[in-house]
Amino acid sequence: MSARRTIDLFARRDERPSARLEQSLPTGGHERASGAGQRAPRPAAPQPQVARGNRTPPAGRAARAAAPELWLGLHLTGAAGRCAPQGLQRLAIRALRFTPRVSLVPPDGLLLEVHASLRLFGGVEGLRRALRRECADLAIAGSLAFAPTPLAALAAARGECALVLQDAARLIGSLAPLPLRVLRWPQEVLDRLAAIGVRTIGQVLRLPRAGFAQRFGATRLADLDRLTGRAPDPRERFEAPVRFRCRRELPCESASHGQLIAALAPLIEALERFLEARQCGVLALECRLWHRHAEPTRCVLRLADPLADAARLTELLGERLRMLTLPEPAHTCELRAGEPVPRALCSSGLWQSGEHGGVPEARGSAFIERLRARLGPEAVQGLAVVPDHRPEAAWRVTEPGACAPSAIASGDFTAARPLWLLPVPRPLRQRDGLPRYRGALRLESEPERIETGWWDGRDIERDYYEAVDVYGRRLWLFRERAAPHRWFLQGVFA
Amino acid sequence: MPSDPPHGRAARLEDLLAHPLLWRAGHAARQPVCSSGFARLDEALPGGGWPRSGLIEVLPVRFGVGELKLLLPALAALTTRPEARWSAWVAPPLSPFTPALLATGIDLSRLLIVRAQGKECLWALEQALGSGACDSGLAWARHALPRQIRRLHLAAQRGSALGVLFRPRASAREASAAMLRLVVEPLERGVRVTLLKSRGGARGALDLTWGGAYPGAGGCP
Repeated sequence: MSARRTIDLFARRDERPSARLEQSLPTGGHERASGAGQRAPRPAAPQPQVARGNRTPPAGRAARAAAPELWLGLHLTGAAGRCAPQGLQRLAIRALRFTPRVSLVPPDGLLLEVHASLRLFGGVEGLRRALRRECADLAIAGSLAFAPTPLAALAAARGECALVLQDAARLIGSLAPLPLRVLRWPQEVLDRLAAIGVRTIGQVLRLPRAGFAQRFGATRLADLDRLTGRAPDPRERFEAPVRFRCRRELPCESASHGQLIAALAPLIEALERFLEARQCGVLALECRLWHRHAEPTRCVLRLADPLADAARLTELLGERLRMLTLPEPAHTCELRAGEPVPRALCSSGLWQSGEHGGVPEARGSAFIERLRARLGPEAVQGLAVVPDHRPEAAWRVTEPGACAPSAIASGDFTAARPLWLLPVPRPLRQRDGLPRYRGALRLESEPERIETGWWDGRDIERDYYEAVDVYGRRLWLFRERAAPHRWFLQGVFA
Repeated sequence: MPSDPPHGRAARLEDLLAHPLLWRAGHAARQPVCSSGFARLDEALPGGGWPRSGLIEVLPVRFGVGELKLLLPALAALTTRPEARWSAWVAPPLSPFTPALLATGIDLSRLLIVRAQGKECLWALEQALGSGACDSGLAWARHALPRQIRRLHLAAQRGSALGVLFRPRASAREASAAMLRLVVEPLERGVRVTLLKSRGGARGALDLTWGGAYPGAGGCP
C-alpha cells in the first residue's frame, strides 16, 4: 500500500520509468484518489477530482491533436535582460514577424507559438537562426527552447537546455533532469523540497498529487499541470504599441510660420481623431520639417498632461515653431506622436472659465502650458515655504499650485522680514566699519542674530540689521560674526 | 405698490443712484473693484478700490520703496477668495521672500512666478491677463510702448484680471492707456502716492502710513 501511495501520478506519458507504470496507473490512480477522499476529507479535496477529470485522456488528446502547439521559449540572459524591459519589448515587436502569438513573461522571458510558422521559416532550425539574428541585432543574449507547452519551453530555456521537442508524449522525460529553480517558485518552497531530497522536475513530478497540493499549495500543483500540458495554459498576447506618424507635402515650399501651421493642421486633426478613438493623449510630439538641402528641422513638444485637443496642440506647436529659425524653406512636414497615454476624460463646463458662474479653468493648466511652451519648462514656477531659520533656505520653488495652503503658520518671526531677497547676498563697501550702498546707510534696528546650520554644511553666523538708504528704501543687511566682519545686503523691504 | 414712509424716500433714491447700470458723470468708472486695504487710498481711487479688470501702472521712484506693499492687501484678498484664480508675477527683479509673503496673507498656492526677459515679459503678462486663468498679473518692465500698454489693458479687460505694470518713474512722461497711473515715493514709515491719471477719479497726492508695523513685517513691533 505504501508503494501505491508514491505511485507516479504525473508520469502518464513519461518515457523511461513510465512504460511500466502507465499500465498500472489508471486503476491505481482512481483507487487512490477516491480512497483518500473517503478516508479523510482534506482541504485540498478538489485536487484529486481535477486530476481525475483531466485524466480522461481521449478528449484531451483529441483536443491537442486538433490544435497542436509548439512554443518557443526565449530566456534573456545577462544584464540586458534584467535591466531593460524595453529590450524585451523591442524583441517582442521583432518577434511578431514570426507569429502573431507572442507573449511577454517579464522580466526576462518571451514566448512564441510557432507551430504554424515552422514551414515558412525553415523549420525549427530556421526559426532558431532567425531569432538569434534578431537577438544579436538588439545586443541581447538569450537561450532558446522548443516545447509543446509554454511553461515547458520557458523552463527549458531558463535551464539553458536546448530542448527541441515537438512530441507531447516525450515532454515529461525531457523535462525531468531540469533543476526546480527554473520554475521560479519562492525560495522557501524550493528549500523545503530540497530538504526532502527533491531537486529536479522529474523528482517533483513523482510526488503524490494530493499530498503535494496540501503541503506546497494548489497553485504549485497547477503550475506542474500547466508544465506537463495537463491543464491549459492560456497566455496573454503581446500587442505592439501603436504610434501616430503622418507626413504631408506642403503645397509649395515655405518658411512662413502661418503656412506651416496651416499645413500641419490636418495632421493634428488626424492625430486628435487617432487619440480620441483610443481615449488617449500624447505627452510628446515631434514635428519634422524637411528641406531641399539642409538636414530636417526637428521641433519637439513635451506636455505636462496627456493631451488630445487639436486646438491646444496647434497652439502649443505654433508657439514652438515661432521660436524656430528654419535654415531654408520646408517642402514636407511630418508629425510623430509619442506613445499614446491613457488620459482622464472629463466633461467640459457649460460656462467659459472666468465667465459669470464659470469655474476657474482646471488649475489654469492651459495657460501655464502655453507659457512653458514659449519660455521653457522652468520659466513658470510656484513658491513654497520651508521651515528653516536661515533666509536663503526658507523658501523653494515648486510646481505651480503645489504648495499646501497652510504649510506653516504665518507670522512665525520675531522680527521683520523683507519681501524681496537677493539670490546671493551682495557684499557692501564699508567706511569706518559702517556699510555703504549707493551712499551712506542709516542702521535702524537692533541686531537680530541668525546662526547655525552645521547639519547641512551651510553654517551661518550673522547679525541682521534694517537700514534705510539715501533714497528712503528699507534694506536688510547682515554683518558676519566671523573675522573679517564683512557687511552684506540680502533683502529689500518693498 | 405699497407707499413708503417719507423718510425712506431719500434712502431709496440713494439706492437707485447706486445701481450698477446707472452711470453718472462723476462716477464714470463704476465697475467692480477690490479694496486696496488703505482707507484713504480707497477714497481717492475711482469706485473705491483697485479695479478688478484693467491695467494700472505703478511708477516707483526706485525699486523697493514700498510699491509692492501698496498692493499686497488687495492681492491677499484676491488669492484667498474661495474661487481664486492665479496671481502671476512676471519677471520680478529679485526673488520674492516666501515667508514674508505668507505673513501678509497671500495664498502661496495661487502664486505663479514667471521668468521672462525683454519683450517676452510683456507677452507673458498679456497671456496671463487675457487667459481668464488669473485674477491678477504683475509685471516689472522697463520699456513699454503706448500701444503695448493698450494691448495689455484690453487683455486685462478680456480676462477680467487686474494688471499691474511696474515701470520706472521716468516713464511718467509717456502716454499710457492704463486706467490708473500712480507714482510711489518713500516716506518715513509709509509712502506718498501721487495719482497721475485716474479715469473717473480724483488726481493728486496722498500720504499713507503703514499701520503699526511695516506691512510685510509679519505683525510684530
